[in-house]
Parts: sequence; C-alpha cells; structure tokens
Amino acid sequence: MSKPSILSLQHVGAFYWRQVGYLRKEQFWALKDISFELYHGDSLGVIGRNGAGKSTLLRILAGILHPDRGVLINHGVQMALLSLQIGFVPYLTGRQNAVLSGMLLGLHKKEVIKKLDDIQAFSELGEFFDQPISTYSSGMSARLGFSVAFQLDPDVLLIDEVLGVGDSDFRRKSSAVMHEKIRSEKTIVLVSHSAETIRRLCNRAVWIEEGQTRAHGDTSEVLSAYEEYLSAKPQSRE
Amino acid sequence: MLSAHYRDLILYKTQADLRAEAAKTYIGFLWWVLDPLMFMMIFYVVFGLLLKRATPDFVPFLLIGLVSWRWFQNTISHGATAILGGRGLMQQVYLPKAILPLVVILTDLVKFGVVLGLMLIYLWSAGFGVGWSYLALPALLLSHFLLILGLTLLVAAIVPFVPDLRFLVEHLLQIVFYMSGIFFSGATIPERYQPYFYLNPMANIIEAYRDILLHRTWPNWSALAIVAALGSGISLLAYEFLTRNDHLYPKLVQR
Repeated sequence: MSKPSILSLQHVGAFYWRQVGYLRKEQFWALKDISFELYHGDSLGVIGRNGAGKSTLLRILAGILHPDRGVLINHGVQMALLSLQIGFVPYLTGRQNAVLSGMLLGLHKKEVIKKLDDIQAFSELGEFFDQPISTYSSGMSARLGFSVAFQLDPDVLLIDEVLGVGDSDFRRKSSAVMHEKIRSEKTIVLVSHSAETIRRLCNRAVWIEEGQTRAHGDTSEVLSAYEEYLSAKPQSRE
Repeated sequence: MLSAHYRDLILYKTQADLRAEAAKTYIGFLWWVLDPLMFMMIFYVVFGLLLKRATPDFVPFLLIGLVSWRWFQNTISHGATAILGGRGLMQQVYLPKAILPLVVILTDLVKFGVVLGLMLIYLWSAGFGVGWSYLALPALLLSHFLLILGLTLLVAAIVPFVPDLRFLVEHLLQIVFYMSGIFFSGATIPERYQPYFYLNPMANIIEAYRDILLHRTWPNWSALAIVAALGSGISLLAYEFLTRNDHLYPKLVQR
C-alpha cells in the first residue's frame, strides 16, 4: 500500500472502573489488545458483537479516552465522533440548539451561525426551527440533530452504527448523504455489528472480539473470518 | 488556559442555561428573587418575632446575609453535580471538563447579579443610601467570587471520584450556614469564641457586606485580602487537578 498511514494503534488497551461492593473498585478492561492502521481515504469498518469494545474504541479514536496501555500514534489528524442531538436543551429553540450543539461538536460559533440556513433547509423544519424543541416530535429532533452533526467536517469522521435517522423520508435522505460521504475521499471509521453494512460501505475492516483484534485487512477477508466464527458459535447465545 | 473556542462555548452555554431556566417555569426568573425572599421571611418570623433576637434593621440585616449566602451555597452545591451532569456530553465529544463547573459558576453569577441589583434598590429605598464605603464593594465582590470559584471548582473536581462526598458537601454547607452569622452578628457572640467565628471566610464576607451596605464603614481589608488569596489558591489547585485528570472523568461517570 502506498497510501500514508494517518493513525496507528499498537496493542492499545483501556479500562473502566467498576464498583465492587461498597468501597472497592475494580478495573474492567473493555479493550485489551487492539492494533491496526488507518490510511488516508480509507473507509474502515469495525465489526464485532455487542460488548466487544467497539464504542470504547471509538472514544479512544475521538480523544475522549486515552489508552491505558499500548500506543496510539496520530500523524496530525483531527477526528470527531458523529454525535446526534448532542447537548440539546428542551426549552431552547431549534436555532439555539443548533448553535450549541455545533459548538459542542467543535465548530466555531461563527461557522455554525454561517451554516444555520443550510441546517434549517436540510432539516426541513421550516418555521419550527424557531420553536422550542420541547414542541418537536422525536422525528423532528432527530432531523435537527442529524442536520447539525452533518455540518461537521473533521479529517476523520467516526460513525457509530446509525446512518439514517428520523421518519422514513428523512431516513432515506440522511442515509443517502451519509453513504455519499463514506464513499467519497473522506477517511471514516464506521462501527457496526452488521456485516452487511460494512461489506457495502467499507474497503477495509477490523474485527474485534472481547477487546482484542481478531483480524484486520480487506473487508471480504475479515468478514468471512467473522462470519465463520459466528456460525461456529451456538446460535442460542447472542 | 482554555482556548477562545471553549470560552465562547462557556458563554453560549451559560446563556442557553439561563434562558432554559427562565422558560422552564411559569414565572421563570422571578424564582431567583423569590428564593432569598422566602428564606428571609422564614428567618424573620423565627428569629425576629418568635425568638425576639431581632437586631435593629433586622430585615435589611437578614437580607444581606441571605443573599450573599445563597450565592455561595447555590454555586457550590450546583458545582458538586456539574461533572456528573455532563456525563452524556463527555462520552460523545472531548471537552475540557473544567468547562462544566465554569458554566455553573457563571450562571449563578448572573443570577446573583440580578438579585444583588434588586437588593440594592430595596436598601436605597429603605433609607440606606450610597456612601463612600461603596468604593470597597468591587473588592468585596471579587474576594467573595474568588472564594466561590475556588470551592466550586474543588468540589466539582473531587466529587466524581467519591460520589458520596456530594452529601457531605450539602451537610457541611448547612453547618457553615449556621456559623456564618446570617441571622446574628459576630459582635453578639461571646468574646472568647469570636476568633474562631472569624476563621470562617463566609463570616468575614457577610460582615463586610453589612459594613459597606448598612453601616457604611470600610470593611476589614485584611480579612478580604486573606479570603481573596485563599480563593485564588484553591482555584489554581482545583483547576490544575481538573486538567490533570481530564481524561479520567469519562471513566468515572460511566453510569
């Protein structure tokens, strides 16, 4: 591969504290040993079952958590987790929430304000944009959340599962623009437990199981190893 | 120190929280004013009427004590849950955690500003006009603020590590409340206990407010300087603690 590596994880592990009894806390290693490379322009799929450590891995990539062991080498890229409806306050209007949420996602206040018209248009909220979001249906909030988060343009976009949100029409529209973004030159990391989604959207994949990398490389190879593993397991345990 | 982006975020979030709070209830921000007034009524009835402990000018005397106390108590007790309350946020984006208590501190500062303004108007209309002593008011407000800033950051930084401390903080506040001379004056307590009474920074702060606003004399400058130094010292320590443990908080407040 001639593409430059922009991020490299070597034997990364991370733990949380878990309360045991009244006063004791115990370390629980959500990630034990994760290694892979991320190359510029990649669409990297992270596959694994529930509880495999996928969300923790995204938090490490997003800089929310630091690895407790191992090394993470970032060659100067800025990464952000696509978070919907982050920091929404029910009593504020859609417009105010858009500014607040955009700023929390890392956009400068001026940038968000400049993009407010786009956000209003994309969310199809019309004059509801200036109403308190406590009057919104859950579908409307989802539309607003997506429209704000979609303005974010980091070097690497980290996506957790959800691609389409809102009511059925908007779901189609939002997943279409997400797919477009994923297929573009943009570097993304997509976490999913659906092999189908990753097969469709990603050129490379990492399979993690119980906090460890089991395979990484071309999507088809990783997924066939993953599916083989799943079918070998007794079906009763999901 | 925080970048310009995060400073903007603190300001916008503060504004948003104030707006939301005013919109949440029917009479909105009137509650900020009603809160100290209702406390004052209780204390007036109990200490002024029932126990007959009223000093001259008991209403303004009480009001000054309660308004300055409520600022202190509200901010610290909000600070204790600031980082816990931001758990949803900090799992989704990286934020310098100090932002969370700073928003709380700023929100309560604005509310106090409104209440202080109304209280001054009341005092002027009750015949306690502006005197030369008002020149000392900015210094007093600053040292009071520094004390609140320090203790709030400290409580916010430590509580996530030991969540039960939150309850201890509430009880400590309750104890300090009774020892700060809110419904009595320091001069009325037995002389041999006075040195201990004045070890409490809030006792000095409240007395300074009364000196300036009621008696129109200069406050005890050295007491104010000590409180300001104490507050600054704690602020720096707590801020350092918050930044040093910045990446630990998302782990501590998992659920």
